[in-house]
Amino acid sequence: MNPATLIARDELRLMRRNRVAVIACLLLVLLTLVAVASSWAHQRGIEDLRARHQQEAEHAFDAQPDRHPHRMVHYGTFIFRPLSALAAFDPGVDAFTGNSMFLEGHRQNTANFGDVNQSSLLIRFGQLTPAFVLQAVAPLLLIFLGYGAIARETERGTLRVLLMQGATRGAIVRGKLRALGTVALLVALPAILGLMMLAGASGAAILPAAAIVLGYAAWLLLWITVIVLVSAMVGRSRDALLALVAIWAVSVVLLPRVAPDIASAAVPLKNRLQTEVAIARDLRRLGDAHNPNDPHFAAFKQSVLQRYVVKRVEDLPVNYKGLLAVEGEKVTSALFDRYSGESYAAQGSQNAIVGAVGMFSPAIALRSLSMAAAGTDFAAHRGFLEQAEAYRYDLIQRLNRLQADGVTYADDTASDAGADRRKRIAAGNWEKMPDFTYRAPDGATLAAHALPGLAVVTGWLILAGVLLAFAARRLGRHPGERR
Amino acid sequence: MTLWIHEARLLLRQRLAIVSLGLLAVLTVAALVSGMAQVSRQRAAIAAIPAAQAEDIGAIAAWVDKEKDAGSAAYYSFHPTWDAPSPLAFTALGMRDVSPYILRVRALGLEAQIYDGDTFNPELALPGRFDFAFVLVFLAPLFVIALCHDLTSGEREAGRWRTLAALPHGGAALWRRRTLLRAALLWAAIGVPFAIAALMSGVAAGAIIVILLLVVAYLLFWVGLSALIGRLRWSSVANAASLAALWLVLVLVLPTLGHVAINRAIPVNQGAEIALAQREAVNHAWDIPREETMRAFYANHPQWADSPPLGTAFHYKWYFAFHQVGDESVAGRARAYRQGLEVRDRAARSLGWVLPTVGVQAMLTRMARTDLVAQIAYRDRVRDYHRRLRQFYYGYIFRDRPFGKADFNRAPRFDAAI
Repeated sequence: MNPATLIARDELRLMRRNRVAVIACLLLVLLTLVAVASSWAHQRGIEDLRARHQQEAEHAFDAQPDRHPHRMVHYGTFIFRPLSALAAFDPGVDAFTGNSMFLEGHRQNTANFGDVNQSSLLIRFGQLTPAFVLQAVAPLLLIFLGYGAIARETERGTLRVLLMQGATRGAIVRGKLRALGTVALLVALPAILGLMMLAGASGAAILPAAAIVLGYAAWLLLWITVIVLVSAMVGRSRDALLALVAIWAVSVVLLPRVAPDIASAAVPLKNRLQTEVAIARDLRRLGDAHNPNDPHFAAFKQSVLQRYVVKRVEDLPVNYKGLLAVEGEKVTSALFDRYSGESYAAQGSQNAIVGAVGMFSPAIALRSLSMAAAGTDFAAHRGFLEQAEAYRYDLIQRLNRLQADGVTYADDTASDAGADRRKRIAAGNWEKMPDFTYRAPDGATLAAHALPGLAVVTGWLILAGVLLAFAARRLGRHPGERR
Repeated sequence: MTLWIHEARLLLRQRLAIVSLGLLAVLTVAALVSGMAQVSRQRAAIAAIPAAQAEDIGAIAAWVDKEKDAGSAAYYSFHPTWDAPSPLAFTALGMRDVSPYILRVRALGLEAQIYDGDTFNPELALPGRFDFAFVLVFLAPLFVIALCHDLTSGEREAGRWRTLAALPHGGAALWRRRTLLRAALLWAAIGVPFAIAALMSGVAAGAIIVILLLVVAYLLFWVGLSALIGRLRWSSVANAASLAALWLVLVLVLPTLGHVAINRAIPVNQGAEIALAQREAVNHAWDIPREETMRAFYANHPQWADSPPLGTAFHYKWYFAFHQVGDESVAGRARAYRQGLEVRDRAARSLGWVLPTVGVQAMLTRMARTDLVAQIAYRDRVRDYHRRLRQFYYGYIFRDRPFGKADFNRAPRFDAAI
């Protein structure tokens, strides 16, 4: 048997004998199992609820009686964002984004009713998910188990003995790495198995699941390397422990919270009131469909009359009010898109700033990797919002065209007692409207989004590995070593 | 006194101690600065409301003035409400980054408006804010652990313990002195910057004292925990490891478990259900005889019942009536929703009696008025204001009074007083 294996075995035996270590490992595995189970149950609950609400909303829309099409423009529709397959592993921003949206004419609404506004203050302490356990808790356990791996031997002088007995420095370091790696594998296994089950159940999520496994493997390997590195560089195990806990606290707890503050100070976000007032201002400048003397809509009217070669809107073969609604929606939607595009861009650059800080805190990189692959990051949410807006626009314009083709201008402008009846079109039209189907990004796209984060974590892993190789060569010649 | 000075000199000769205390002070200052910047951004956003509002309303007024139609005025006018940050808000930003502190409402159905959120970047909100509460609740214990985990074990490992215990003023008195000295210095590193920031922000002296005491109590909890672990006579390293593990459990693991348990035990009907039901009620009005709606409306609001009957043409009073009837039809659900949220919040608070980490966070957000209670209180004020808005516009719509430019200035204004 080679020395590295022997050393790994010896280290593992020592951990096994340490009752606290065994209990801690068991607790962590238990915590992971609870996290997997509760997160899965929670997500299933949400999924069922949203599917039920979605069905109710669609049914209610289809079941509307005969109506004037513009009534349906205001009736609007609710859509609910389905969860991604891996959301139970890492729900990401789902709790913060809100999951239902009301789509109506003339307005671009935001997603509402996020969990964060429906939960107690505890939600801000973090959410118990497998991702959280692997990101924050597992590294700390590895620190407690491994801080003394080499420092202890240095401190007690056993390192000399090992070296004299013929173990190379490389073999000692490899042995310690292997022992810690075994523990890491043990504690990560429940979460990984849970992930595999989720990916297997959905079938489509193999690639992103692989990206997640790779990412967390690199993350835990990074910690193992850093632990052995610090343990080798610092002569005393006490200092190794303090240094490692400090590194953990700064990179896992502190920086991920500081980075968003830097980002939000650097890139201000327009609030809703500012946006709405600005949109209203631009609309006034562009033209007002309600104002018959408005230049923009006067020109529009002229172009319509020319196209149909008639003198008056009353002579048009279609309902002019419907055409006007189509045009109005086109104008307002273009504005909404411009403003929401600006807001997305601002949020994108905020996230880019956080990502840049992530270069110094692989925890941030890992988190974005994990969310991106799970399809629960801002980019995925933005994808949903954009699809929702495209659907809204299409639906409203279909309704507006129904008004143009299905309601006569004479009826539409009449206000006698029976006019209301004549303005309505058959209820069967509502059923013909397409339902919203969210097209989730495919596995390859999700996995591709995870690559930058994976690159950062891997880069750190390589750096730590190189540093460890250097430190290993100096092992046993440490000036601070006690004799 | 000389003994204390001597101890202080001993302590400050340690590099770890100096670095820790300095770092804690720097982090506290950074968190305070960041919190104050955040709050001043919110204040600036609130201060910018009147100008934007004047522009918006001005344009509507110019256009409505031609027809003098009160219904159009009520339909198109949005009225701003805001929740100004309290003087203490900078210490614990709480929910203010994710729940709206500015909300514009109009006299239409309120249930479709009151749950609207403001724009925020969810990825920035996810990890939680870096504020004073975070430094105190999350980070300060780590510094306590760093400074206190080896008070006795360190001396024992260095072989000085017996000697020190045998000294006059040694033994228990010595450890007490050392522990209290560390606690006091840590308290100063957190408390002095806080007190300065609070004084600058015009926080009442009473509140400052309460928070300084809260800091003392929380630090003493962790110091006490360190002392307890220290009595087990383990090695310094074992002390540090078990304290850090306790920190992890108290700060991260138990609160998250509590979150799962509370949400599981106290189901809250999703707010989306209110929105769905309200929309149905409101739109249903188009399909039933208008008199039916008016009867339902007048039954609850007899003061308008003497309004002339509806003609065949569209009249805004019917439109506003069915919006209000729609609100009233989901009032029970809205109440249940709100109660559910309150019960969840109370459960989390009572967890704070057992978990000091949660307790301190809850108390700070309560004092800073940035918690769920404050958010609900803001919603209540919006509801109250909306009631006055309806009252105001109904006076024109139901009495068929013309609504001119000057009338826009008579609309009730939101009362921001807390």
